[in-house]
Order: sequence, then C-alpha cells, then structure tokens
Amino acid sequence: MFKEIYKYREMIYTMVRKDLRGRYKGSVLGFLWTFINPLLQLVVYYFVFSMILGNNIPKFYLYLFVGLIPWIFFSASLTGGSISIIAQKDLIKKIYFPREIIPISYVTSCFVNMLLSFVVVIAVVIFSGVMPSILGIICLPAIMLVEYLLCLGMALITSALTVYFRDLEHILGIVSMAWMYATPICYPASLVVEKLPERFVFLYNLNPMTPIVEAYRAVLYEGGIPRMETLLSATALGAVFLIIGIFVFRKLNRNFAEEL
Amino acid sequence: MPENEEQFAIRVKNVSKGFKIYYDKGASLKERLLFRGRDKYHERVVLKDISLDIKRGEVIGLIGHNGCGKSTLLKLMTKILYPDSGEIEVNGRVSSLLELGAGFHPDMSGRENIYTNASIFGLSKKEIDRRLDAIISFSELEEFIDNPVRTYSSGMYMRLAFSVAINVDADVLLIDEILAVGDTNFQAKCFNKLQEIKSNGTTIVIVSHSLNQIESICNRSIWIHDGGIKADGFPNDVHMDYLTFMSKLRQIKSREIEEESNAAKAEIAARKAAKEAKELARLEEERRREAARKRWGSRECSITNIYAGDLQGNDNRVIRVGDPIKFRIDYRVDIPIKDAVFGIGIFRADGMYVYGTNTRIENFKKFDLEKDGSFTIVLERYNMLPGKYIVGFSIEYGDGIPVDYWKTACEIETYSEVSDVGSVRLDHTWEFSQDGIEQ
Repeated sequence: MFKEIYKYREMIYTMVRKDLRGRYKGSVLGFLWTFINPLLQLVVYYFVFSMILGNNIPKFYLYLFVGLIPWIFFSASLTGGSISIIAQKDLIKKIYFPREIIPISYVTSCFVNMLLSFVVVIAVVIFSGVMPSILGIICLPAIMLVEYLLCLGMALITSALTVYFRDLEHILGIVSMAWMYATPICYPASLVVEKLPERFVFLYNLNPMTPIVEAYRAVLYEGGIPRMETLLSATALGAVFLIIGIFVFRKLNRNFAEEL
Repeated sequence: MPENEEQFAIRVKNVSKGFKIYYDKGASLKERLLFRGRDKYHERVVLKDISLDIKRGEVIGLIGHNGCGKSTLLKLMTKILYPDSGEIEVNGRVSSLLELGAGFHPDMSGRENIYTNASIFGLSKKEIDRRLDAIISFSELEEFIDNPVRTYSSGMYMRLAFSVAINVDADVLLIDEILAVGDTNFQAKCFNKLQEIKSNGTTIVIVSHSLNQIESICNRSIWIHDGGIKADGFPNDVHMDYLTFMSKLRQIKSREIEEESNAAKAEIAARKAAKEAKELARLEEERRREAARKRWGSRECSITNIYAGDLQGNDNRVIRVGDPIKFRIDYRVDIPIKDAVFGIGIFRADGMYVYGTNTRIENFKKFDLEKDGSFTIVLERYNMLPGKYIVGFSIEYGDGIPVDYWKTACEIETYSEVSDVGSVRLDHTWEFSQDGIEQ
C-alpha cells in the first residue's frame, strides 16, 4: 500500500497545489486570508477570555495564538477531511487510484496552510519578546510531524465513515467545537485538574491534542523544550489514531464507488 | 509456473458481482433510525460466476445489450469496484479511459492540467515531463496549451484529455465507449493511435456499442448476456451471432405483447412463462447450430445458390491472381421484407478480414424484396496473393440485423505464375534509367 501511494506522489502534489490555489479563488484578499483568518479568530477569543472573563496569564495573546494555529489545522482535518472523499466522488466513481490519496492530499494542504500561518506565529513570538531555545526550535518539526500523523489518522477515519453515514459531516461540526474546549487552548490544563473530579481528568488526558498543544506552547510560549513525557504521549496517541485510521479506511474503501 | 502466469494480462476467476438496489434508502441518521423497515433492498446480480483469461497483447471487445454487465466487468478490472466473490488479477500498469479529463481544473492551463490528469494515472513528474511533448502534439493544441482550460471548446477539452490518457503507455488499456471524441479527423487519429498501441503489444479491452469499431480493431470479441459469457471468439462471428439473437428475441417479445391483448390476462401469465422458457431454449439451440455453421439470420429470405466464376459465366473457383471474378447470388423470399441491404465479405483462411462492403456503405437505395431474385457483384481484379479465401454473402436489414448472413458461403483459391510476396498485389509499374541523376 505504501509503495503504491509513493508511486502516486505526483498526484498528491498536484492535488495539494490545486487545493491551495483554489481555496481563496475569487476573493479580493486572496491568499492573505491564510493569515487574516487566524488573526481575527485570535482577536475574538482574546476579547472573550481576557477582556470579559479575565485571567491572569501573562502575554495571553501569545498563549492563545500558539495553541490556536495548531488547533485550526486539526479541526480543519477533522471536519473538512470528513467530506474530502464525497467531494471527489466523480473521480472515485470513474477512475482507479489509491483512495488514501484524497485524505492525504487534503490534510497535507491544511498542513501547508499551518506552516504558512507559522510565519505570523513567529512574528508574534518575536514581537512578544520570548526567545525560543535552539533545542526547542529543533523539536518543532517533530511536533508538527506528530500532529500531521494524528490529523491524517482522523481524516482517514472521518472521510471513510462519512461516505456511509452523511450525518457525520454535521455532527463533526459540533464535535469539533466541543473538542476545542476540551483542549487547553483558551485556558491552562492545570485548571481542569483543579476543578474536575479525578475520573474525568483521566479522560481529559486521553485527548491527543492536549500534549501536542502543550508541546507547541513549551517551545514558543515558555521558550523551553517540551517535557519528554508530553512528547511521548503525543507520539503514542498520534500513532494509535493513524493505525486505526489506516485500518478503518482499508476496510471501508472497497465499496466507495458503490456508495457514492 | 510463473512464466506461464505472466503471459496473461488479465485473469478473471469465478467472479460474481451484485448491487444492492434500495427501494427507499435513508442516508441520514433520522431516516435510518425511524424507518429501519424501509432499508429493504433486493440484490441485483450483475455478473454470475464469470471466468475469463486475456492474454498479453490481445485486443478484446466486450459487447452486449444495456445492463448486461459489460461495463461492470470493466470497472472490476480497473479496481473501481470489487467483486463479491472470485478474483481478478491484472498484470502491469492499467490506464482506463472510462473518464476522460479526470481532475481537470478549469482555471489552470492546459499544460498544468496535463500534469494533474496524468498524475491520477500514477505517473511521476519525470515520466510526465518525458511525455509532455508527445501529449501536446497529439492534442494539436500547441497554441492554446498555456491558456486556461475553461477557454477551450468542448472538442479541445476532449482532445487534450484523450491525448493524456492514450499517452500513459499502459500495459493494459481499458476503454469504455469513448471513441466518439472530437471531429472525424481527430477520431481517425485516435483510431490509428490505438492501432499503434495495439501493435506495441498493449492489451486493450474495449466496451462499445459500435460493432464496426470492434471488428476493425479487436481480435477477439466477448458477448456478455445476463451476467454470463454467451459467446467468445472472432469478432465478426460473435457479432452476427449477437445481432441475430437479439432480433429474434425482439420478435418473441413483440409476439407476446400481441397475444397478451387477445387472451385473458390471468391465463396467459403462466402460459407465457412456460412458453418463453421453451422459446428461449429453442432459440439457444438454434443459435448454437447457426454458430457452428457460421450462418446467421432471421431468414425471411434465404440465399439459395451461389455462382462464382469468370465474366463469361463459367463456374470456376480457382482463379489466377489479378483476374476478374464474378459472383451471382440467388435468393428466395419467404416473407417479403423492406429496406434490405446486400453485402459481401472476404476472409483469408487464417481469419484475416480481407475486404467487406455492402450496398448501404456504397449508398445504394435500399431494396424491398418481394419475390425471388438475385444480385451480382464483379471484382475486376482479384489481387489477393495465392491462398484459400472464404467468401461470405449477406442479406440484412438496413440497421445491420442479419436476414441471411452466410459467412462461409463459398470458397475460392488463387494461384499465380509470379512469386511476388506479401498478402496483396498492388498494381504497379517500374521505370529504369541509367542516365545518372538529373540535377
């Protein structure tokens, strides 16, 4: 399977390119939206969680932003990924290629988008005066890779399931929102440990995005390096989701052409 | 034995495939939960236990009426669909021309779309680079190749798409009813390209309703009927078999409709089923007999006698290469028919189709046959080199359905005093000069 996907690498490349070019087609600001959109989201969350609710986290805008950008990547993979197969149904019904190509291309294009947003993230980090350590910077690609694998796993699962069960597309919108609040993006994880009963904390820690967001934050907000156990649990959870994703997709993809 | 396996391009082993036809399918959660009873479906079996081996380099035509399962079989070969049981093995790179222009983006240029489209066939950047010039020149779109595809006419669009698909250099090429691309000029070009691909040893499988297309390119034709293989062999034989069967089937059906309006409804239902089974069995029997004799048709009229010989009227079936030959075909009319077409077909003993024509191709008016008669055709110079030739004659309806298509009606042999070689003598003259080359 991997060999075949490798053979079709040019298809991934052209699909990613097509997706990135087509995404903001016709809009006045065009590609600038890649940067403007997360910045506007930042403003909204900052307004609610800092001005209205209030908290005493220093440089809250940076704290928020460093978690928000990776989250947008994840949530796009989850919700957008779910309809990626359906969106390409003409292709699937008419021509053979390894079906995995579609979610892979979609997640990759979201990933490229995140990398572009990181230009803004780096600018904000420099503006805030935080000085990331060299070792931390070296860790960054590894964290991104782990997140990529996790997102790919999620997209494989949701894209295949949505073919058989279209409601998932709408359900995932709400799941994605809830998931965001279940991830320490707008608040520190320590708050959850304080306020929730113990057995919920266990569930909370199963969230694969928690260690990933914390790892980003360790590098870009605290200017240090992620803790070993954070990295390990992120990698383990990412791998588990990817394996489940591959398995589910393999199982379901044989009947795509008939179901679509 | 691996070597033995390798000589097959496609092996289909006991493959069955059915589709679930939902009467009223609920795709959403609410419908699934509330109306579980509605999720009823019946399974329509499209292919029943089909087995079929296609050797490397064979060019196969799949024929059959609509819904017989031929397109499904093609889709199984491309792995768009998977069989319910059985196995399909395809060796080598597959290119399918089921969908032309897959993944084309209207805002991208022709050149960029070549990359997109070719990448879907699994080509790498390097492989596409190498083919780019060939693709562009085949499409004849050199001037427009950097314009966005949305500015193309639909003919240009199809030309570009076809050029990509056909330049993939597949080992196995699967084609579904698409040789109707662009203007006649481009069609001819596509056809020649297919001939070229064929001569390179590529295995080709074509689904088409155009029996003529299949006859001119395929060396084997497979007739799929009700999910099974009904006949498999030399295209022309299979096609005549097919056409005759279909026209007889139509007659049975129309007779039934007539009867239905005469008799009481309840009574006929049972009688009809029994009768249909009997008629079908008889038809099948007749079909086999005809196929064995290579003579097909509905036989309202029959060929009764064939004269072959020189222009003076001496019966002679052994002739010298280059001499004229005259055929006179007598026929009997049992039931008058309208719009008949007379035809001739000549085959070499090894099955090569030497020549065929008929009065429709040559734009004669159609004939209404009311009483017995004959037709004559003279070949002014029979230039086929020495060998045995089988000459067939046909009376058909205007739409190609055979009335009496007798493929092995007569046999002629040719001899020659000159031992030139090849298959056909081309009329020629020589000129010699030793004056040196004039400047």
